[in-house]
Amino acid sequence: MDLMLAILITVVGASTPILIAALGELVVERSGVLNLGVEGMMLIGAIAGFVVQFHTGNSYLALLAGAGAGVCASLIFGFLTLSLSANQTATGLALTIFGTGFSALAGSSYSARPVTLMRPLFPAEFAASPFTKVLFGYSFPVYFAFIMVAAIWYFLHRTRAGLILRAVGENDQSAHSIGYSVIGVRYMAVMFGGAMAGIAGACFPLLLTPQWAERMTAGRGWIAVALVVFASWKPFRLLAGAYLFGLVMTMELYAKAGGGPLSVIPSELWAALPYLATVAVLVLISIRRDASTNAPACLGKPFLPSN
Amino acid sequence: MQFRLEKRREPSKLMSYATPVAAVLLTMVLGAVIFSVIGYDGIGAVREIFLTPLTNSYKWQDLGVKAAPLIIIGVGLSIAYRANVWNIGAEGQYIVGGLAGTGIALLTWGMTGWWILPLMVLAGMLGGMAYASIPALLKTRLNVNEILTSLMLTYASVQLIYYLIRAPWKDPMGMGFPQTRLFSEAARLPTIIPGTIVHLGVPIAVLVGLVAWFIMSKSVFGYRMRVVGAAPHAARYGGFSENRTIWLAMLVSGGLAGLAGVLEVAGPFQRMVPGFPTNYGFTAIIVAFLGRLNPLGVIVAGVVLAITFVGGEVAQTTIGLPNAATGIFQAMMLFFLLAGDILIKYRLRRVMPQATAGTA
Amino acid sequence: MPHRLELTGITKAFPGVLANDNVSFSVRPGEIHALLGENGAGKSTLVKMIYGIMQPDAGEIRWDGAPVVVANPKAARKLGIGMVFQHFSLFEALTVLENIALGMDAKIPSRELEARIREVMTKYGLLLDPHRTVATLSVGERQRIEIVRALLLDPKLLIMDEPTSVLTPQEVAQLFEVLRKLAAQGCSILYISHKLHEIKALCDTATILRGGKLVDTCDPTQETSRSMAEKMIGAGLKDIVRAEGRSMGLPKLVVSRLSTKKTGHFEVPVDSISFTVRAGEIFGIAGVAGNGQNALLDALSGEILGDDKDAITIDGYGIGLLDTTGRRKRGLCAVPEERNGHAAVGDFSLSDNSILTARDRLGMVMMGLINSGAARTYTGKVIADFAVKALGPSSMAGSLSGGNLQKYIMGREILQKPSVLVVSQPTWGVDAGAAAAIHQALVDLAAAGSAIVVISQDLDELRALCDTLAVVNMGQLSPARPVAEVSIEEIGLLMGGVHGATEASHAIPA
Repeated sequence: MDLMLAILITVVGASTPILIAALGELVVERSGVLNLGVEGMMLIGAIAGFVVQFHTGNSYLALLAGAGAGVCASLIFGFLTLSLSANQTATGLALTIFGTGFSALAGSSYSARPVTLMRPLFPAEFAASPFTKVLFGYSFPVYFAFIMVAAIWYFLHRTRAGLILRAVGENDQSAHSIGYSVIGVRYMAVMFGGAMAGIAGACFPLLLTPQWAERMTAGRGWIAVALVVFASWKPFRLLAGAYLFGLVMTMELYAKAGGGPLSVIPSELWAALPYLATVAVLVLISIRRDASTNAPACLGKPFLPSN
Repeated sequence: MQFRLEKRREPSKLMSYATPVAAVLLTMVLGAVIFSVIGYDGIGAVREIFLTPLTNSYKWQDLGVKAAPLIIIGVGLSIAYRANVWNIGAEGQYIVGGLAGTGIALLTWGMTGWWILPLMVLAGMLGGMAYASIPALLKTRLNVNEILTSLMLTYASVQLIYYLIRAPWKDPMGMGFPQTRLFSEAARLPTIIPGTIVHLGVPIAVLVGLVAWFIMSKSVFGYRMRVVGAAPHAARYGGFSENRTIWLAMLVSGGLAGLAGVLEVAGPFQRMVPGFPTNYGFTAIIVAFLGRLNPLGVIVAGVVLAITFVGGEVAQTTIGLPNAATGIFQAMMLFFLLAGDILIKYRLRRVMPQATAGTA
Repeated sequence: MPHRLELTGITKAFPGVLANDNVSFSVRPGEIHALLGENGAGKSTLVKMIYGIMQPDAGEIRWDGAPVVVANPKAARKLGIGMVFQHFSLFEALTVLENIALGMDAKIPSRELEARIREVMTKYGLLLDPHRTVATLSVGERQRIEIVRALLLDPKLLIMDEPTSVLTPQEVAQLFEVLRKLAAQGCSILYISHKLHEIKALCDTATILRGGKLVDTCDPTQETSRSMAEKMIGAGLKDIVRAEGRSMGLPKLVVSRLSTKKTGHFEVPVDSISFTVRAGEIFGIAGVAGNGQNALLDALSGEILGDDKDAITIDGYGIGLLDTTGRRKRGLCAVPEERNGHAAVGDFSLSDNSILTARDRLGMVMMGLINSGAARTYTGKVIADFAVKALGPSSMAGSLSGGNLQKYIMGREILQKPSVLVVSQPTWGVDAGAAAAIHQALVDLAAAGSAIVVISQDLDELRALCDTLAVVNMGQLSPARPVAEVSIEEIGLLMGGVHGATEASHAIPA
């Protein structure tokens, strides 16, 4: 039983960054923009968060730094795709290549220098027993991710701003002709996505491995993009998807730690599992129904006013 | 004073050739500024990365060897991207191609014969094609996004290398190092210029580029790729099935990535090692765009990117610039190129503040 | 009492075109004012400036007597200007209520908004369920959303841009009732159209534009349709010249129980359609947009493949399983409705566009290689024979005007001398000169013995052009009738889905 609870706690930790990044990308895609630079923005957020944590030890400042760095990175993407209507797929890839190089350069003097992990949000008394620990034993980003799932759902479906955002993603020309600023709305969405990806990146040194390593997000940004498709652009389904992946990744950790039935399978297969699971999940969602029916109608198409 | 974008009547040919050149030049200028600002020798960095590999004739062979895989993969990607098929898993197809070639080399280990290398090349191309056919199958059958699947398979293929060289293919004499044994003579790619490291893959790369250019500009195959990418609906109307095109694009780009993989493992590496994935498959994405998705352009772009690789290594030893700086320069080139794309369809017009309508 | 809206000397230039040249006219309160002109005459540009989407380069707009600058649509709505666009600004995946909320500048709680919507709907007889998703509504119902959205703002001026192009005659009559009711309450209406009989039936005044210039402001009830048409087009109208004593040949294209599968969410499939077209016959298919026309064209051209070889036959040979290339080789050419992106590739040269459909019939391909010389020669011939205004075969298709591109596309297919030609909306958005040329080319092709199918929403066009007429509704085709024997009321009822007495005969296969 204790093992089960311990696994659950690891799952929650492993899925949090993916969930946060995917929530950001969900909002971006709902506005009609496909930003494939999530992985790059996460890496930039990770190094920013790490550096601030290393120098100040203030984890909240580190998360903020991650968010800020993510926004800056997203603005490169925004400027190219929104102001200059560049190809979104190519620009997203370029952003990921840039983020990988930038974070490696910025982090080159920080290798093998540990930081402390972020402290739990609630005082230790709350998490004294294993059961309460499952509820109260986490640090701030875990609760933040939960709240954001509900908040983004509320924003999209119950507020006027959310309605406008969906409208822009559904039919940019119509939104423009009614008088909404398509580019403005999309800039806001892209920046929000950048902030979330940055926070998600900062979670890696703050929650998972307390040091800097090149490419430490290891493709999680791409998995986040895939999860948005899996969730059919719905926040609560994202929650389920992210936790599923947290489970897969936790199994990898336990298999690597050795012992038990899990180690019969080669460790390389466990390491490949999250990626293969992503493919499998995309396949499953496509078999179940036409996955594209829920996609925002203008997803990935550059907007140029027709007049 | 303000600037305004104005749609051109016809896309500008001049701009489509000028913007890649401008992107490289801008990268050099802005790169020098940025690296100076963050505390490196910016001008030195640009000089070492972009010019030293050209001025130092000793580096030319390195350029050829680095450019070859970039060109081969880049040509394949340029064909796929023309058709709007976003294969970004070329790195994975390169790896599987290399592994397939390695398999043949290990099977024939100790044997001699002219047929071994061609067989390896064939296996490599088939390996790349087979790996690319997974995203193709999923895309055509289930409409699964090929960007995500091809990329996920790349991550998985890296683990496949680690597994194979740790267990079944491990060099029995390797003192525990995770690597295969050195290939026999017959499974190594010959050098074509004695005394250098320039191997047969270099002329093959140029040949691939030239053949692809001919096919893309003169044949129905090339027309098919262009029309499916430009207007899929019109392509269907013209009798070109989209699924068939996706298959062709994936197989060609995968096969060429596999070819690059087998040439690398039989040429510079001569054994499979954990360091075999060298990001050529990702850099080739930049090569394809910088070459304007035109195989002749890709040859030039491949050399440019090779220069930054070789120059990046130079800068690392001479002025202590971290290796990661190369990636930043490469990404900047792509950013500038994408930013400049708008000038092909639009022109920049200076406009005077508009006279306000109405006399009130 | 001042004019509601007064335009003086409005001028707007785009690169290479003067869209509006010194246009002045005024609209009184409660007046229904027509803005009449051909496609490209500058009507849309003019109303976009009134609604604040664009700014005039010169000229003055006065509102209730006072000069104003309409900076954006929001400012326009604040003044009391409402607009119903030709291409609706609706969001298919959202509900009626959400769509209307998006069009409101003030933030209104959704319950209160819903109550106000219901009030307006009952007042004007525009019935709709506010919670339905737009994608499930018919075109006429969608237009009601736009009208309700505009009416909620209590407009003093309502702009209607080509409102009837997608409606059945009965829906048009309903719409006119609403507009008359509005005008009676003092709301001015600016009614943009090129349909003369509608303007005669509805409007108090008509302003006619041609080539961006104001030609005349007149009282439509005092004019004949022909006199207004001549002002609009600028030259005497040319009638289609038909060969005398033409007789139909043997059945050429026989379609029997052709069906397609439902593809997209919102696409209407073809449901067991049967008809026969004889050599020399022009067969018209009328219908409101979105009733399966696209699926029918794709099924005939081969873009959608069926599973029955004999569902479509040419001269008795079953082509139901062939793809577009195979059908072209058998003599069936097709022209879809959407020009740019479907019938032609905007980013390709005209020469490359000829390769798209003419490569096999005209031998432009040898052993997998393209003979670009042959493509250029053929394109040159199309340009010359169809008077396409283009610099030459290497011009980009996207740089041509809509009418010229359509002339090129029609020419590209017709000069291949197809034995069956299927065209959708052959003159949609095309100026009168080009439309007349296209109509003449179709008539000539039929006279040479080809079977022609014309799918169109323009009843005037179909009645002028076709020998036989059928109506498509919800994917089903009404029985074909000689065009001289059907009245416009009958067609209207069929378009609305009422098959009446002919219902029984519909079930009998051809």
